[in-house]
Amino acid sequence: MPLPRLLALFLAATPLFAAPAHDLYLCATANKDYIVGAKLNTMNGVLLRGPDDTYEPVGTNFPGIYDLVVDPRDSRVRYMATLNGVFVTTDGDRTRRVTTDWSVTEPHGICLDSHNPDCVYLATPDGIVVSTDRGATWARRETGLPERGKYTQVVTADRTKAGRVFAGLEKGIFVTDDGAAHWRCVFPTVRTVVDIRQSPHDPSLWLAATEGDGLVRSRDGGLTWEKVTTSFPEQPVYNVSFDATNPRRLVFSSWMNGVCTSEDGGTTWTTRNIGLPADGHVFRVAVDPDTGRLYANVHHNFIYTSTDFGRTWLKQSLAGAIVYNFVFVPKN
Amino acid sequence: MNLRSLSCAALLSLAAIVPLRAQPSFAGPMPSRAVVEGADQRRREYLDRIHEVLAWRAAQPVVPTATDPAPVDMAAICSRLALRQDAARNSRDVIKYMQDPGSGPFWMFPVVCAAYLGRDQLTPEAQKSIRDAWRSQMQVRGDTENHWVMYYSSLYLMSDLYPGEPGTAWYNGKSSTENLNESQEWLLQWMDLSTTVGQGEFNPTHYIGEYMIPLTMLATWSKDPAMRQRAHIMIDWILADFASNTLHGYLRGANSRSDDNSVLERWNALSSFFSWICFGQTPPTAGYGGWGIYYAAIAENYTVPEVIYRIAMDRGGDFEQHNLKRTRRRWRYSDVLFAPVYKTDYIRDTYAVGSNQGGALDSIQAHIWDVTWDVPDPRGVHNTMFSLHPYSSGAALQMYFVAYPEPWIKGVTFEGKPSYDSADKILGPSPYEQVYQNLDTVIALYDIPPDTRFPHINGFFSKDLKNVTEDKSGWIFAQGGQTFLAYRPLAGYEWQEYVGYATLWVPERGKGKGDRILQSPHLKNGTIVQAAAASEFKDFAAFQAAIRALPLEFKLEPVPTVTMTTLRGQQVTVTYGQAPVVNGATLDYAKTWKLFEGPYLNAEKGSRRLVITHGKLERILDLNTLTISDQIRE
Repeated sequence: MPLPRLLALFLAATPLFAAPAHDLYLCATANKDYIVGAKLNTMNGVLLRGPDDTYEPVGTNFPGIYDLVVDPRDSRVRYMATLNGVFVTTDGDRTRRVTTDWSVTEPHGICLDSHNPDCVYLATPDGIVVSTDRGATWARRETGLPERGKYTQVVTADRTKAGRVFAGLEKGIFVTDDGAAHWRCVFPTVRTVVDIRQSPHDPSLWLAATEGDGLVRSRDGGLTWEKVTTSFPEQPVYNVSFDATNPRRLVFSSWMNGVCTSEDGGTTWTTRNIGLPADGHVFRVAVDPDTGRLYANVHHNFIYTSTDFGRTWLKQSLAGAIVYNFVFVPKN
Repeated sequence: MNLRSLSCAALLSLAAIVPLRAQPSFAGPMPSRAVVEGADQRRREYLDRIHEVLAWRAAQPVVPTATDPAPVDMAAICSRLALRQDAARNSRDVIKYMQDPGSGPFWMFPVVCAAYLGRDQLTPEAQKSIRDAWRSQMQVRGDTENHWVMYYSSLYLMSDLYPGEPGTAWYNGKSSTENLNESQEWLLQWMDLSTTVGQGEFNPTHYIGEYMIPLTMLATWSKDPAMRQRAHIMIDWILADFASNTLHGYLRGANSRSDDNSVLERWNALSSFFSWICFGQTPPTAGYGGWGIYYAAIAENYTVPEVIYRIAMDRGGDFEQHNLKRTRRRWRYSDVLFAPVYKTDYIRDTYAVGSNQGGALDSIQAHIWDVTWDVPDPRGVHNTMFSLHPYSSGAALQMYFVAYPEPWIKGVTFEGKPSYDSADKILGPSPYEQVYQNLDTVIALYDIPPDTRFPHINGFFSKDLKNVTEDKSGWIFAQGGQTFLAYRPLAGYEWQEYVGYATLWVPERGKGKGDRILQSPHLKNGTIVQAAAASEFKDFAAFQAAIRALPLEFKLEPVPTVTMTTLRGQQVTVTYGQAPVVNGATLDYAKTWKLFEGPYLNAEKGSRRLVITHGKLERILDLNTLTISDQIRE
C-alpha cells in the first residue's frame, strides 16, 4: 500500500489526529496565593483549551467558578456554579448575570436535564436548588432530603431519563425521578459524596467518588450501589471519570494515591504517577472523550497530560492551578 | 480553595504602609486612664485622635515598589479626602487605582469610602473611573460573615449612589434596584440573627473593624433613614459589647476569632485601635491597625455614647457578664446550623477571666478561655494564661467551610493561620475540650481520643510571668502584674520553649521571646486556673497557702472530673461530658443564659433589644422599633 494512503488511513483511524468533537473548558483558579481582597494577577474562572494546549480565559476573571454546564441547544447559553451563586450567560460569556440571590452561596455542582434543558439543578452547601426557566429564577427542591446532612457537592442528570438526577450529599447519594419534586436516598454515607458520573458506554453503569467510602459503583442505573475494591488504603477519592473511547478504562483522583486507573472495567486498579509530583495530591482527573488523553491536575501545581493512560505524564501548563472541573462540551 | 479571610497580618499588608514617620500615639507614652467627665472634652479628644490618624496617614511618603515608582493606595486617598487635601492628586490617584481593581469586600469598602468622601472633591473623570470599575470587575462576595457585611454594605451604598441603572451597568448583571434590595435583605436578616440568636464572629480581636467600618458607612451615607438607624443601632450594639469585654482597652478572651500574635500580646490587635479612638485609654497599634485609617476617615459621623464610654472606662468594681453568642454557619457534620456559645466574663480592675463552654465552636481561630492581667503598658507584653488541646482536622474545617479536607489543612497554614496544623499551637478550639468558669476560677477538661492528630494539651506560660513556682502540691504559682495565678495541671507535663509563628509580614515572631508551653501528653487531662488580685493577700506566699488549702479532688478515669471549692467559696463539680454542678445545682446553659446578662448589658433571647446601663445612664437599642433611647435612671 502506498505510504500516503497508509498515512491517510492511520490519520482517519486515530482519534489523536481527528478534529476534536469537544471543547475543553476548565473551571479553575491559577492564582496560587489568592485570598479575598487580593488582586487577580493570573487567570481564573473558565478557561478554554486552545489548539496548542494553551488555555485562554473565557468571560470574567473570577477565582471561584467551580462547575459549568452548557445548554445543548445553544452553546452560548451557559450556567456556572460560583462562589457568588449562579452566573448565567446567553452570549458565550461576553456578559453574565448572577441570577441567584444572597440565599444561594458557594454551589459547587450544576447540571441540566438534557431532555428538558430549561431545567437546571444546583448543588449547594445547604441543599438543592432548581431552576425551570433557564436559570432566571431558582427554588429549593428538597422533599426527601434530610433536614441536616443535606450539604450537596454534586448533581448529575441521567441522560437517558427525563427528570432523573443524582445528587451527592453529606448523607449519601440521593436520586429524583420527577425533576426534584421528591428525592430518595439510594446509598447512605457518613461523609460527603463528591462526584457522580454516568458511563458514556452503558447508561446503567454509574461511578461515584466519596470521602468516606472510596469509589462506589452502580450497575443498575443507580438503584443500588456497592463499594469498588481497590488494592489501596481507603482514602478520600476526589473525582472519577470514564474513558469515552474505551469502555474498559476508568480513572479516579486521590490525595494520597494520585492517579488511579483501571483498564479492565474496574476489576483491578493501578496507581499511575510516574512523572507527577511525588506527593500525589491529584485533585482532578478527566479523559478527553475524543482522544482518550488523560488529564490530571495536581493541587496548586500544574495540569499534566498522558497519552498512554497514565503510564507517562507530561507537564502541560497553568502553574499553581487548582482545576475544579474539566468540562468537555460537544462542539456545535 | 483559597477564598478565606485575610489574616490580621495580611490585612496590614494590604491596608497600611509601614510607618515611615512616627505615629504619635503608637510610639508615645501610655494614654491616661482617667475618665473624661465632660462630653465636649470627650468629643474634642475623639476628634483629635481622628485627626492624628488622618494627618499621619496623609503625610506618609510614597514608597516606590519594584514595579511602580509611585504606587497609590486607597487608605492615603481616603485620608486626604477626609482632610480635604490635594484634590487634584486624589483624582489622579483614584483614576490610577481603578485601572487595576481588586476583587472582593476588602477592596470594595475602601473604594466606597473614597466614592462618598469624594463626591464633591473628585473630578468627574475620577468618579467615572470608580463607577466603571463597578461595572467591569466581578466582585468576590467571600465566605464569612465579615466578608458579607463588607460586601453587602458596599454594594448597598454604591447602588444607593447610582440609582436607577440597569443590570448592564453593574458587574453582577443586576440593576441598582435589585442590588439595593438584595443587599438590604441580607443586612436585615444578619442584624436580626445577631440580635436574637447572638453574634457569630463575636469579640474578634481583629475583625471588629470589618463590622464597625461598613456599618459606620451605612449609618452615615445610606439615603434610607431606617437603614441609617439600623446601622447605628448595630454600631452601638457591637461597641457596647466590645467595651464591656475590654480590660483597660485591650480585648481578652474568649474570642470567636483571634490570631497567633493577638492571643498572646492581648493589646496588639485592631480592636485596640477602636479602644484608643473611641475611649482613649490604650495606645493604637502600628499603622493604626491598617483598617483603622478607614474608620478614622468616617469616624466624625459617629458619637461614642457616654454610657458605652463609661462601661469601657469607669467600672468602679468587679463584674460578671453572661452573653449568648453563636458559631458561624455549620454546613455539615453537625446537627445544628448554628451552635450556641455560652460566654462568661469576670472582670476586675487588675485582671479578667473569660471563657465559653469549649468544643468545636469554630474551625480555626477561636480562643476559648484565658486569664488576662493588666499591666501599666501592654505593648510587647504577653499578659495572658490559658491551655488548650491543639486540634487540627479536615472534617472540622469542612463543618464550617466548603472545602476538601486534605488540601484545606495545608491551605490555611499559608493563608494567615500558620499554626493551624502544628503541635505547639496556642490558638483554636477542640471538640475534646470542656470548660467551666466560676468567677475567677476556670476548669478545663480534656478527653482526647487516641487517634487524634495531636494527643496532648498545651498550657501557655508567658515570658512576662514572675515567680513561676512548681509547688510540690501540684500547683504552679505565678504572678502576672498585680495578679496572682495558680495553674493546676491534672496530669504530668514537660516544658517547651514557645517560639511563635513567623509570617511573611512579621518574620520575627518565629524567633522566641521566652514564652513556654506546658505540654502534657496525656489524653485524659485537665487544667485548673485560679486567679486573684495581689491586693487580696498579704503576700505571694499567703496566696499560695490559700490555694493549697482549697478542697480539691480529681480523677481522670473513666473521664476527667474535678470537684473543688473555689477561692470564692463556690462548690463546683465538673465532669467531662456532663453539665457542671455548682453548689449542688446542675447548670443548664440553655435555660440560664440570656442574650446579655450583667450589670451593663442586658437582653433577652429573641428580643432585638439591648439595654445598656452604667450608673444612672441608660441607652436602649431597639431594632423592633428602630429607636435609640437615652434616659437618666432614678
